[in-house]
Amino acid sequence: MKKINSELTIFFETAHAELASALEMLAVCKETDSPKQAFGYFMHAKDEYSHAKSFFNMLSLRGKSASIETARDFRFTPPSLITKGYISQKGFLIETMQLKDFIAFVYTNELLAKSSFEKILTLVGRSTEEGKRISGIMADELRHHGMAKKHFLIHYPALQPWQLMIYRTKETLNNKGRKIYDANLKFLDRLLTPLYRIMAFLAGTISKKLNLNEFKRKGKNLMNISTKSIL
Amino acid sequence: MFIGVTGYNHESSAALVDRNGVLVDFYREESLSRIKGDKSFPKMSIRKILCTNNLKVKDIERVAFYERPLSAFLHIVKEASMHMPKSLDLLTHQFRNFNRSSVSCYLDFAKFFKGLESKLIYSDHHLSHTLTALAYSDSKEDISSVVIDGFGDRSTASISQIVDPTEINELWECPYPVSLGLFYSSITDYLGFAINEGEYKVMGLASFGDSNSKSAKLVRGLMDWDSNSNKIISDMSYFDYHLSISKSYSSKLEELLGPARNPFVQLIPGNNDFQRCADIARGAQDLMIYLLGKIFTHAHKITHSRRFLFSGGVSMNSASIDSLAQLPFVDKIIIPPSPGDAGCAIGAAFYCYIKSSSYHHLKIEKPSLFPSQKEKRNDEFLTEQIISNEFSYLERDEDYAFLKAAELISEGKVIGTVLSRSETGPRALGNRSLICDGKNMNAVKNLNTVIKNRSSFRPTAPAMRYEIAEKYYKLRPEIYDCYKSMSATCKCLKDNVSSEFPTTHVDSTARIQIVEKNSYLYKLLSKLEPMGIEILANSSLNVSGDPTAFDLIDGLMVCLRTDLRYLLTDLGLLIRKT
Repeated sequence: MKKINSELTIFFETAHAELASALEMLAVCKETDSPKQAFGYFMHAKDEYSHAKSFFNMLSLRGKSASIETARDFRFTPPSLITKGYISQKGFLIETMQLKDFIAFVYTNELLAKSSFEKILTLVGRSTEEGKRISGIMADELRHHGMAKKHFLIHYPALQPWQLMIYRTKETLNNKGRKIYDANLKFLDRLLTPLYRIMAFLAGTISKKLNLNEFKRKGKNLMNISTKSIL
Repeated sequence: MFIGVTGYNHESSAALVDRNGVLVDFYREESLSRIKGDKSFPKMSIRKILCTNNLKVKDIERVAFYERPLSAFLHIVKEASMHMPKSLDLLTHQFRNFNRSSVSCYLDFAKFFKGLESKLIYSDHHLSHTLTALAYSDSKEDISSVVIDGFGDRSTASISQIVDPTEINELWECPYPVSLGLFYSSITDYLGFAINEGEYKVMGLASFGDSNSKSAKLVRGLMDWDSNSNKIISDMSYFDYHLSISKSYSSKLEELLGPARNPFVQLIPGNNDFQRCADIARGAQDLMIYLLGKIFTHAHKITHSRRFLFSGGVSMNSASIDSLAQLPFVDKIIIPPSPGDAGCAIGAAFYCYIKSSSYHHLKIEKPSLFPSQKEKRNDEFLTEQIISNEFSYLERDEDYAFLKAAELISEGKVIGTVLSRSETGPRALGNRSLICDGKNMNAVKNLNTVIKNRSSFRPTAPAMRYEIAEKYYKLRPEIYDCYKSMSATCKCLKDNVSSEFPTTHVDSTARIQIVEKNSYLYKLLSKLEPMGIEILANSSLNVSGDPTAFDLIDGLMVCLRTDLRYLLTDLGLLIRKT
């Protein structure tokens, strides 16, 4: 059971990540002013959609043999792309980043994604159908990485390949930082949960005494209720 | 100019109404973010409204949020606090996410649209629903409004009497946690479908069920109407939606009905667990119809009205509207094209407008079914390379493109459409549709299963002119407007060939669309009818699980991700290169 749970988590999270990438690419495709770039991002988004579909299929296959309670936890709902942080609450990356930084981000992260798929490949086995599909996805990621590099060097000729290396190192460190932050957050969460629960219990005890009859509207003209009241 | 906004709890959206009471623009956040059911603060929608209409923050007189945030928060907390310690997880979640709830809408306005926060006002949740529906009604006076949803900002159902747009008196409410909407969502969850998305599936599944089965009868007994107190009563021990963040039904419901369905196991007619699930869905649908009948009867009793506005998420239960239309006191039922929370932005925007105008100058113009502005960007320029690399033009001239599309449909092909403005509501009415010959079994099957990958028990809607619909279906004049936005199903006429149509559901019903004159679908049908095709199967243009396509790029993407080959667009008729 523990094995199924960890596998489900891997496919669930990877599918989220790939779908979020597809949406990020689609967002850039719609933002750009160049038809050529729009085509590039469009095709990239299409690939990412296809990757997400593959991982959702792998998830579904394993979900069938999980207990109902477990399977329910791995049911995909699109808004979780935001709540899980795969898409920022501030908006798509292209809304918060310069195009140059975005391309460097793609350049680095496609490579990082490829290396993380190595682990999944080991999990499913290289010679299986799923293994072949993941190998195909890895080849796609490498192609995207190469395209981002090419695009970067054409459009920003003043920058040299070694500068891309700096971007890569920076992003790799950022990624590691994010993982440490996430792990710390989870640790802190475990540590503080009892405290949160005690606080919620106290607040709940007070809430019990709330009289919500004030909110009743029966017989009232709804258009006359204060426009400024949040109650 | 006035903006109405929804978000945080369900689908977020934004609407723009001008000083003449005209709905100018409306966007769902999910259309722009491409995240189905996106409920985050609708920054993209507001930005799009400002940008498309060349507006600045200073041009906006008022902004209305569709509910009273603290009221919504407190009602949930108060109810949960009555059930501690069982509800401690929910309470902890509520308090920890306080700053992410709708209470933070003021701060989000300040963060993303500085200046708008000072113009922010709040409308009651059910009032926003009522005003949305009122906008789509021809008459704006002496009408009754029934709102039923999961949960508003204090109640889960209400009845109001509309004297005029400035006097809307609430006469009855169903207090949280008893909720017809949340009951249906709990059954949706139990049957393994996602809440807020799978309710359509439960409705489709119900047609396969037997009302006399044991499971259906058990579900039917979960709620009732108390005629003495005129209240909905429910044994809440079967539900956990008011106590838990992760589960909407309790273990007691599983003891009653058997184990919940694994969401990953496909439901296929004839398979092992299919009939039990269908019977449970049937029971839920029967209970829904029964309680809606009771609520409407009570609405008539206390308002003496024969005309009703019906909105809230529950009004999207199109399979129950035909029964309501048969109630003896009903003359008319109006359901707005977007009756769920997303549509509330329209009501909220009209709320601003009404509050800012004197009654003598009030004029709420009935909006069309396609209010969003046409994309002003040059689609042809941006998609130039995508089209030249992946597609070919079959026809560029609009009239010839429609004629060619009609020929393809007559040959059994499926066509996608991305034409002009997108629909207001969740149902594609021809501008963002997948269409094929509605009488061609193979074409409909191809559309439904190969291209859309929909569950095999879900029917596809037929679209036709009124005169054609009369030949095949039992239409009810009381809900004529509902047929225009696919908001109601109807029965096939007795011993009529329509019961054999592939768009007809297993219970001989169809969720028909009566095509409006001057619409693109009407134009296409006028080309098709001489070819002997009078009914189109119509489904939304999207890949299963995604929002309906919004712009041309989305439409092109659907083509590339599915087996769809033809796309009828404003630029012409496209064919995907193989």
